[in-house]
Amino acid sequence: MAITLYDFELSGNCYKLRLLMSILGVRYDIIPVDFYPGRQHKSDWFLKLNPLGQLPVLVDDGLVLRDSGAILAYLARKYDPTGLWFPTEPAQLSEVLQWHAFADDITATASAARLALGMFYDFDLAKAQAGAHRLFRLMDEHLWFGEREGRDWLCASQHPTTADIACFPYVMLSEEGNISRMDYPAIRRWSDRVRRIPGFTVMSGIFPAGRAAAE
Amino acid sequence: MTLSTTDTTWYPVASSTDLPLRHVFHGQLLGRELAIWRADDGNVNVWENRCLHRGVRLSIGINEGAELKCQYHGWRYANRSAGCTYIPAHPADAPARRITNTTYPAIEAFGLVWSANNGAGDFAFPGDADQDWLALRPMPINAPADDVLAALEQYAVTAEKGILGVATVATRLPGFAVKLTAELTERDHSILYFVQPVDSNRSVVRGMLDHAFPDVVEQLRRHNDGLKTLRDRLERAAARKPVPEPLSPSFEKVSVELSSMPEITIGSALTLRAVIKRKWATATGITAFELAALDGNHLPTFQPGAHIDVHLPNGLSRQYSITNGPGELLSYTIGVKRDLASKGGSEVLIDAVREGDVLAISEPRNNFPLRRDTIRTVLIAGGIGITPILSMARFLAKSNLPYELHYIVRSEDQIAFRDQIDALGANVTLHIGLPRQAVAQTIANTLGAHSFAQHVYICGPGSLLETVRNTAADLGWPDEAVHYEYFRNDRVIDDSSAFEIELARSAMTLHIPSGKTILEVMREAGLQVSSSCEQGACGTCLTGVMEGTPDHQDVYLNASEKRANNCMMTCVSRSLTPRLVLDI
Repeated sequence: MAITLYDFELSGNCYKLRLLMSILGVRYDIIPVDFYPGRQHKSDWFLKLNPLGQLPVLVDDGLVLRDSGAILAYLARKYDPTGLWFPTEPAQLSEVLQWHAFADDITATASAARLALGMFYDFDLAKAQAGAHRLFRLMDEHLWFGEREGRDWLCASQHPTTADIACFPYVMLSEEGNISRMDYPAIRRWSDRVRRIPGFTVMSGIFPAGRAAAE
Repeated sequence: MTLSTTDTTWYPVASSTDLPLRHVFHGQLLGRELAIWRADDGNVNVWENRCLHRGVRLSIGINEGAELKCQYHGWRYANRSAGCTYIPAHPADAPARRITNTTYPAIEAFGLVWSANNGAGDFAFPGDADQDWLALRPMPINAPADDVLAALEQYAVTAEKGILGVATVATRLPGFAVKLTAELTERDHSILYFVQPVDSNRSVVRGMLDHAFPDVVEQLRRHNDGLKTLRDRLERAAARKPVPEPLSPSFEKVSVELSSMPEITIGSALTLRAVIKRKWATATGITAFELAALDGNHLPTFQPGAHIDVHLPNGLSRQYSITNGPGELLSYTIGVKRDLASKGGSEVLIDAVREGDVLAISEPRNNFPLRRDTIRTVLIAGGIGITPILSMARFLAKSNLPYELHYIVRSEDQIAFRDQIDALGANVTLHIGLPRQAVAQTIANTLGAHSFAQHVYICGPGSLLETVRNTAADLGWPDEAVHYEYFRNDRVIDDSSAFEIELARSAMTLHIPSGKTILEVMREAGLQVSSSCEQGACGTCLTGVMEGTPDHQDVYLNASEKRANNCMMTCVSRSLTPRLVLDI
């Protein structure tokens, strides 16, 4: 049994999978795909793997999977024996999926702004930035009241879920799209908590947090 | 009201709950970005948000509990003073004292953190100081502070959606603040709203309730909803108006030498006055003194291994190591051993100086710097030599760096600073009553063979230092891995030689007759040169030698440093050649 990740180092969506596999202690191989400037994700060989021409793609024992959120769910159900990373209780499952969708909205805004500034994509930068701020406001409010209600994570659970992993990368990379997180202190505190999850790993542009204070 | 970058009004810049331990908050006031962080001792620091080295935001740095570490090249800055304590690229050197980040006044009161430009007057709270205040969720709004303030005055209150459920009276307060008061049946109830002017077109509303209600979260949600409506209205209005120019606060330029390798300056240390806050017997024969600044402010930054000169009532001055851990700048704690052979230094301190007395002390100086880039650090203390070693251990412990501390004492009652030693836990090995002949073998077992990035630091009596140095050399430890600090130079100084010195930078040639030190002759010639122990032990008067061969006689330099003949101590070193050229 072997897992292969078709990966671009600077992709937040690929990093989501590297992050969860690092936390779960899952071993995997990487096949680098030159997203920028090579545009290999639109090459013939890659389109055969994923007709949508999107990263990441993960192959597990011959099973070809696409969509970072779907792959997070797959990895958590298959490799997390506690079942806590992707709960199946209906209300909790629905909540996690809501945040997966929210994460896709963050990708469509914060990541788009980053692609426009860093990789010269012809996107409407101002619109992408405004969209990201609108999402971050909602997320900060949700997390701020969570702190008052004893909830550290995005979903109502004592344990982080794939929702946190899905939202984390493009929130953290937002400065590369010139989207400051100064107005979102609760998001900044949540990002410290995510970075302190055992097994956390970094990517270019995402720094480690220091140790938590001793209890 | 036009915003001014030099306004010295106190404004709230964060909520207390924004600052959990080991977090760095990213704030801004009047166009100036701030890094705000709480140290483990509870102190809130409000600093300019840039590392002095490469300008990287400190708000993405790491709060290590007592020091803030820049994410880029790991420069560390001390709690309270913002003085630089360590530069990883120069692990063997003590950072110069002038490497200090800009700090701003900070007060934590009523659930908020307040700050102001430097030069602000006393903080005055416009509300009832006896009330319990509950901070609302802060509401950032992309609109000018003036508009936000005007909107808050009009902040309508209705029975269904209202803030208080009844009609309110709005009162404008000094600064950007409004008080809404409602008459309730039991007693008046008020809310304070402060507008934090972030920039010309950005504000944060920080509200405070004057008493808590049964369902606090429900209250917070209601107020949050009200302020969101206010925000959306203000932002729609602001979007129709031209965007004002952002504020452009002036920033002090970082000097060229600061952005590269800082030189190790051995300038003359300032003298400051300190009050004895506490004096106690910490072990048999050892008295501890806690010295604090007269004005209650923090003392200057120190690094582990640093000492201060204490000027005594009888005119003498003595050097004592600071035992403190990182970021502890409200007082320095030193340990003084009663030394019967002393010329009246320790005796005076122990017998004549009492709690409440004021002494002159120097700023901290560090001639015993601690590296933090090692794989293994061995700290060895003998008796009163524990003082700098204790500080080193506490720095390493706080940063979770690997170290072991070996403390050699004659008997249990001679263990100084016992509570601090115990707090270090399993990293400490006590060697109590070790027979003299067993010391060398114990040291050898402790050190083992040398390997890459292992360092040993020793402080204690001369005989212990000699034993450790010889043992380490026998085990193959190179000179640069063995660090030590002598209390004094026990050697008899031979000052019979006479020679010339040429001071290259001062363009001066001086004759040094027998019986006089270089230091004395330079001072007679009007030169300002700093010194401390004046017996070749502390390293303060270290001077570069450009030509000639010095006759060292000191105990500060190690054997290879002495062989290199490129520096010397002007207090005891002399010349083996008729002429010496010094870098002064």
